[in-house]
Amino acid sequence: MFYTKTILNKYPKEQRYLLAVLQDIQKKYNYLPRGALIMVQEYFDVPLSKLYSMATFYKALSLKPKGKYIIRVCDGTACHIRGSALIIDEIHRLLNILPGDTTEDGNFSLETVNCLGSCALAPVMVINDKYYGNVTPALVRRILKEYGGVNCEHIQEKG
Amino acid sequence: MKVMIDGKKYDAEYGEYILNVARRNAVNIPALCHSDALPGQGNCRMCIVEIVDKGRKSIVASCAYPITGEIEIVTNSERIYRIRKTIVRLLSASAPDNEYINRLRKEYDIPPETRFKVDRDGKCILCGLCVRACDEIGVSAISTVNRGTTKRVSTPFDEPSTVCIGCGACAYICPTGTIEVNEDEGRRVIWNKTFELLKCSECGEYFITREQYEYIKKRYDLADTNELLCDKCKKKGIGDKLTNVLHNVIPVQK
Amino acid sequence: MNIFKRKVKKTVLVCCGTGCLANNSFEIYKGLKKKIEDLAVNVKVRPVVKATGCNGLCEKGPIVTILPDDVFYCGVKVTDVDEIVENTVLNNKVIERLLYFDSAKGKKVRSHKQSEFYRKQLKIALRNIGQIDPGNIDDYIERGGYSALRKVLFKMSPKGVISEVERSGLRGRGGAGFPAGLKWRQCAEMDNFPKYVVCNGDEGDPGAFMDRSIMEGDPHSILEGILIGAYAVGSEKGFIYIRDEYSLAIKNMTKAIEKAAERGFLGQNIMGKGFSFDIEIVRGGGAFVCGESTALMASIEGRVGEPRIKYIHSTEKGLWGQPTVLNNVETWANIPVIINKGAGWFSRIGSKGSRGTKVFSLVGKVRNTGLIEVPMGITLREIIFDIGGGIIGSGKFKAVQTGGPSGGCIPESLLGLGVDFDSLNEVGAMMGSGGMIVMDENTCMVEVARYYLKFLSEESCGKCIPCREGIKRMLEILEDMCTGKGREEDIELLLEISETVKEASLCGLGKTAPNPVITTIKYFRDEYLAHIKDRRCPAGICRELTVYYIDRDVCRGCGLCRKGCPTEAISGEIGSRFTIDTSKCIKCGSCKEICRLNAVKVLGGAAE
Repeated sequence: MFYTKTILNKYPKEQRYLLAVLQDIQKKYNYLPRGALIMVQEYFDVPLSKLYSMATFYKALSLKPKGKYIIRVCDGTACHIRGSALIIDEIHRLLNILPGDTTEDGNFSLETVNCLGSCALAPVMVINDKYYGNVTPALVRRILKEYGGVNCEHIQEKG
Repeated sequence: MKVMIDGKKYDAEYGEYILNVARRNAVNIPALCHSDALPGQGNCRMCIVEIVDKGRKSIVASCAYPITGEIEIVTNSERIYRIRKTIVRLLSASAPDNEYINRLRKEYDIPPETRFKVDRDGKCILCGLCVRACDEIGVSAISTVNRGTTKRVSTPFDEPSTVCIGCGACAYICPTGTIEVNEDEGRRVIWNKTFELLKCSECGEYFITREQYEYIKKRYDLADTNELLCDKCKKKGIGDKLTNVLHNVIPVQK
Repeated sequence: MNIFKRKVKKTVLVCCGTGCLANNSFEIYKGLKKKIEDLAVNVKVRPVVKATGCNGLCEKGPIVTILPDDVFYCGVKVTDVDEIVENTVLNNKVIERLLYFDSAKGKKVRSHKQSEFYRKQLKIALRNIGQIDPGNIDDYIERGGYSALRKVLFKMSPKGVISEVERSGLRGRGGAGFPAGLKWRQCAEMDNFPKYVVCNGDEGDPGAFMDRSIMEGDPHSILEGILIGAYAVGSEKGFIYIRDEYSLAIKNMTKAIEKAAERGFLGQNIMGKGFSFDIEIVRGGGAFVCGESTALMASIEGRVGEPRIKYIHSTEKGLWGQPTVLNNVETWANIPVIINKGAGWFSRIGSKGSRGTKVFSLVGKVRNTGLIEVPMGITLREIIFDIGGGIIGSGKFKAVQTGGPSGGCIPESLLGLGVDFDSLNEVGAMMGSGGMIVMDENTCMVEVARYYLKFLSEESCGKCIPCREGIKRMLEILEDMCTGKGREEDIELLLEISETVKEASLCGLGKTAPNPVITTIKYFRDEYLAHIKDRRCPAGICRELTVYYIDRDVCRGCGLCRKGCPTEAISGEIGSRFTIDTSKCIKCGSCKEICRLNAVKVLGGAAE
């Protein structure tokens, strides 16, 4: 919890910095560890219930650890009408996770985002920070294979 | 100032909520999330009324709309009735085992639900009074969790809260009896936490949890007091303080 | 038409907006910079290479523009760098291959100004974007930046500023279109200090990226606008609330704040005129509802982003109960121009009730996806067909959706509509923050309504009953319809719940949430009936109501589809006709996408 302490020390003890602190912790650990929440509670002297409420309200915050690769599929309107649902289905079929879930081996998390502002590339998928534009179900298979997420024998390459 | 409610003129103070004026004058406006002790929630929207303010028509929540001018209010138009009816139908589909809502459903003549997948998992209508009561007491053991259609009320991590004092104000104020309190042989169980109950030194009845007693002593700096009297037996002292603490939250109506 | 003077200087502008960045434009920028630095020893005047914000024409990115000749290259690759420098930058030779093909004109054009995409636009809020390096404050100052602030501080009273903004007719670009000047006046009249000014950069609408582009591409214009507003209402502290996902916007705004402070445009006693102002960035937590002003303020205060009842205006009681003016990014970016050019100039642009221009993100099934700024009152047809270049591929236009998830779908019969705040409201849609999503005949309107309701069910804060429970049940009905379980009485029930959600919800999110449902029922009732009565999805989108099959007359038996099928649902011998086993088909569309002969067809009817 060393990092949490460092993060806390950057901010004055005013409630308005709560969200920023939680975001920083989220960025550091990819989720909000319970111990960190307790430290935040003590530092700001706010009820734990309020922190828990915030942690479950804001989509940027998560109480569950995320996978090594975070797959974010844009389901903004432009992506949606260009077929993002097919992309999500394909990932679900291949990795057996629904949006919000993480694979059992802790390698992949699947999330949907409302818009990445890259509508010209629709549908868009981002793995960690790498953008993939004009994604198709077939392309999903190839990309996930690159990340070691799909059993190669069952994948037939497209010509 | 004067306001017109359903065609009749009434006196109102500047800044007073419409609902207050209406209730004072026995004009019935239904409300689920309203408590005189914790006014202005505006969550259930059952108390909506039509108003005409400076020629502009709008629909507002009467429990939270402050009167600042001479406005006209209609509490029972056909449109308002229709909207309230839909609200009751929506609520009853999500809280079908809620007796209070069931009564309302009959009142609004709504047939048993056949269209929606009724949820069987709760009676809570998320009015928010319990959370506010807990905040008001200064404990904040519970809060809303999640958002949107998955929102609910709970303790952090859904575990017994470390700060809950078991005072039961949340259950007391709940309009639909959703929060379970079980008392048995000197114990009270609420929000999955078990509390030891203390007896009134006068009548000998269990009436307060140890944590609640300690909390009040600490909050009112009554370290030397050992008096322990229940509401009924209260004379002077901590009994009064106790009602004071809860008074803000729970209207005295025993 | 460009309303601003251009500096004559050999400059290479590389678009580094998000769309182009995703296509490697930063590598192109680095390549160009290095190449020019290597070569420039032999050149008298060294050309400048700049990374700019979004040019708007994201579909054709990455975009490289060479000034002063205004040569406009699109679809540039890293391998084109040497050729661009050697031919165009050093020898003024145009590379034909990289020019933009204007489909409206049917030919290639040399300069962006010659294309239909740009010709009908008028850039005020986007005036500098694509022309300047957002990281360089001098670029902004060279183009007249901070002169409006100077004018205000030296020559105008706060009251004068407010009346200028009022007379301009500027309405808030964030959604509801509340007159900006009136809001400022209300706040200025309060004698309760401190006061706050807030910039809403949360932009949660899917399919919208106007505010992001301004924050990324021209951050100082926003700062200058906020400073002017703060001076007018008497505030010394401001906040910019930016979506956390917008990392580049946060980076550029942060840098702009630092640079402005260094130059004395922020801080104590600005320009020696006794006005002090500071500003802070707050990162959003990922909640669409925080675009609602009171929820946004709750979020800035470090609480859950739930709206509060708004019977008392934020201009009276806003952040921490103090008088607060909140406007969105685009509104603030308009302010410096209004001050410099005057209310009279601004109010002559646009339509009667909606003055000035509006930025739209034009996306979906349209050819020129991107960011555009047009005068209010321009018709939808002009936007979609002249600027947007029409529908992608051979599809036919079906609807355009404006106003974000709680906007409405507008049908073909209304394409002649002049777009402004009031006209959009009249047809049941709304301006919102400016998302404009074009849909073609392959878009199912029932499914679109379902999509928006699903979005709203996740983004509703859940505080008030009509919004939380109403949206939940409307979504339930729409999901039933999309899977062939719709009932005849459902349409009326949807409208009944819509009325309650619209009238009784606490905040703007709920009050507008039923719009997608109401407008799709109003304009596309046939599609609803097809789903309910015939169990058929005419657009071929709803899976339970469609069948994939291979047209035997077209198939030549190449077998590509079989290779691409993830569930081995396709069988056949090479050289003969292939068939799809509907019991195995998961309707993923892989076969349709692979087939070069377009032999895979989707039937909009239920599987037998």
